[in-house]
Amino acid sequence: MKARGSILSKFSFLIPSFILIIIFVIYPIVATIILSFNINPVPGIDITKGKPIGAENYYEVLLSFKFINRHGLETLSFPMGAIIHNIIWIALHLPLTIILGLLLATLFQHVKGGSIIRSFIFLGMVIPMIVGGLLIQFSFDKDLGVVNLFLKITGLEWAARSWTIYPNTALFSLILGSVWLWTGFTVTIYSAGLASIPKETIEAAVVDGADFKTILFKIIVPQLKPVTITVIAMTILWDLKIFDIVYASTLGGPGGASMVLALLMYDYFARVQNYPMAATVATILTIVILPVVVIWVRMITRGK
Amino acid sequence: MKPEVIKLIAAIIIALVIGIGIGYAAGMGAAITVTTTVTITTPVTTPSPSPVKPPVTLIVVGPWAGAEMEAFMEALKAFEKEYPNIKVEYRIYRAEDLASIAPPQFEAGMAPGDVIFTAWGWWVKKMGEQGHLYDLSGQVNTEEYVKGIFDPVTSEDKIYGLPFTAWAKPGFWYRKSFFQKYGLKPPESWDEFLSLLDKLKDILGGPPIVTGNGVGWPISDVTEHFIITFGGPELQLKLINGEVMFTDPEARKVFEDYLVPLIKNGYFSEPIEWTRALELWWRGDYAIYFMGTWITGMVEDPEDISSFPLPGCKGVVMGTDYIIVPKYTKHPEEALLLAKWLATEGQRVHAGTKAGKFATWLKVGIEDHWAPMQSVFMKLKEMVPMPDLDDTVGGDWQKLFWDQLKLLWVEPDKLDEVLNTLAENFPKE
Repeated sequence: MKARGSILSKFSFLIPSFILIIIFVIYPIVATIILSFNINPVPGIDITKGKPIGAENYYEVLLSFKFINRHGLETLSFPMGAIIHNIIWIALHLPLTIILGLLLATLFQHVKGGSIIRSFIFLGMVIPMIVGGLLIQFSFDKDLGVVNLFLKITGLEWAARSWTIYPNTALFSLILGSVWLWTGFTVTIYSAGLASIPKETIEAAVVDGADFKTILFKIIVPQLKPVTITVIAMTILWDLKIFDIVYASTLGGPGGASMVLALLMYDYFARVQNYPMAATVATILTIVILPVVVIWVRMITRGK
Repeated sequence: MKPEVIKLIAAIIIALVIGIGIGYAAGMGAAITVTTTVTITTPVTTPSPSPVKPPVTLIVVGPWAGAEMEAFMEALKAFEKEYPNIKVEYRIYRAEDLASIAPPQFEAGMAPGDVIFTAWGWWVKKMGEQGHLYDLSGQVNTEEYVKGIFDPVTSEDKIYGLPFTAWAKPGFWYRKSFFQKYGLKPPESWDEFLSLLDKLKDILGGPPIVTGNGVGWPISDVTEHFIITFGGPELQLKLINGEVMFTDPEARKVFEDYLVPLIKNGYFSEPIEWTRALELWWRGDYAIYFMGTWITGMVEDPEDISSFPLPGCKGVVMGTDYIIVPKYTKHPEEALLLAKWLATEGQRVHAGTKAGKFATWLKVGIEDHWAPMQSVFMKLKEMVPMPDLDDTVGGDWQKLFWDQLKLLWVEPDKLDEVLNTLAENFPKE
């Protein structure tokens, strides 16, 4: 009896948290999902504007050229649609940040003043992303940008142009800019991971005559697997919900060439005030994100 | 099942019920608030605030920053001087930001300001029809204003916005000193215009027309000027009303025969943020710039600038900033008083500043305007005033229009794609 009572009293402490989670997490999620089917989540406030209940919004979003642009996909030209742009973002941004993060963290581990350099790299994470977006826009500007300055110095002046205003380069400019902003995170996480690898292991490998490549791929990378899983999950989540960088620098243009899911959702919400459509994009975004989170949580909880 | 487990499940269910109950209660509360505020009777007259009332601070939201804001502040200071019991605090929101931020606030029974300015008539009308704004009919005598100025904000005899000062988009601006230096003069025919562009291109060694960028309106402004010039004012109106589509031959011709060749021949610069474009134009990196009359208040020497329309142009896009009062203001009496004052005497003060604007209240004489604007006004007298295409259509299409034109500017070969997108996505109603 006593043990049972003690279990119950322990769980009773969780009730306030449950209530808060229900109000601020579960209820908004449920409300968003039901709103996407044109059901008013709050009685008395008609935000569906009388649209018939059903999955009509999903058809509309999925068939919209802003979501997937068939012509763009067929001709491999931009715009290809928000979901494809997000996928391209992940395909480029994820490997680049992981490789850069791992290499820089390994490099600065044994360099004098490495922590100071790491702090500078981490600055990208400290900058508000909306400011980051503006910085990316300026960085790729024809006259003011550091990227074009570099091109001019290296004799590639013919290639200098405002990269964010052309459909074929806008998305790639933003992705490269986001690599700069996000690498600070991966460097920091990998640095912490590297610090946890016993020095003796690496010293033993050195004594046995292992070169840097062998140490990196046979010792460091395998030992950093849990860190890499976290970095992959966090980066994919960041890439899927990317918004502020795009909003501040290109507004999804030109011609929708850099439109992403979160901006599409914002446009439906704030620009058109079509709340059910915004909820539909939000739900689709959640469905896309959910497998990443589930796999990540599973791996973490299983101690992988 | 073990009793502990049952109790635990029961606890979770109770917590869920409580949580959802609180959520619904909050929702019902919000619903009641909205219903209550919507039923407030709109005051037809605005008595002066009683002197015994405690001082009131009104928040005014407007789009102006820098020199434009300084000019506007002069009007607000004049109001404060006349009504010392009312203080005014100014906050900057661009029209596009306001259109994003205000609607959710309105839905929640709040407002970003007591008196709000926006140039988007379509948005004012929409918010008014949704019951978020005071009906301002009766506040002023509409006969005393420029004809048609209330049309975009009128719905079923209700007026949801009062006009403030107006701007015009008269054509390409140039520096008189630059043209004098190279012996150039404004063109009087399309061939002369092309010849002028060639001469300027040789002088500058690059594109002579600087293209303003931003959210997209500077490019749409120059496009509309081409539409009005080569399709006539009626084409602009037909495009606005959806009677002609962008893919129809008469609209397509404007792009195909006039605008696109200029872009392809490198007469237009890459889109550059519009205030920076202004600096580059002023320092002589570019020779001509398509911009509104507010440019007169943004340059060091307004006497050194002048403008010319495309030869043969019969219409000029004009617009105003509308003053609205949300129903959620805590000081409706004072807010309505300020709105009324700004739409009348406030215009006299503002037109006299370096704002580069015209009064829409006809009781303000030409002599009340800032000197450089008096000469601009005389030039525009013969032109047919036209509504702004994208500001009138509005909604999601407005952003699409801006975005597609940005695409056209950097990839003019995509003309078909751009026109098809604009036509296919034009609002059906």
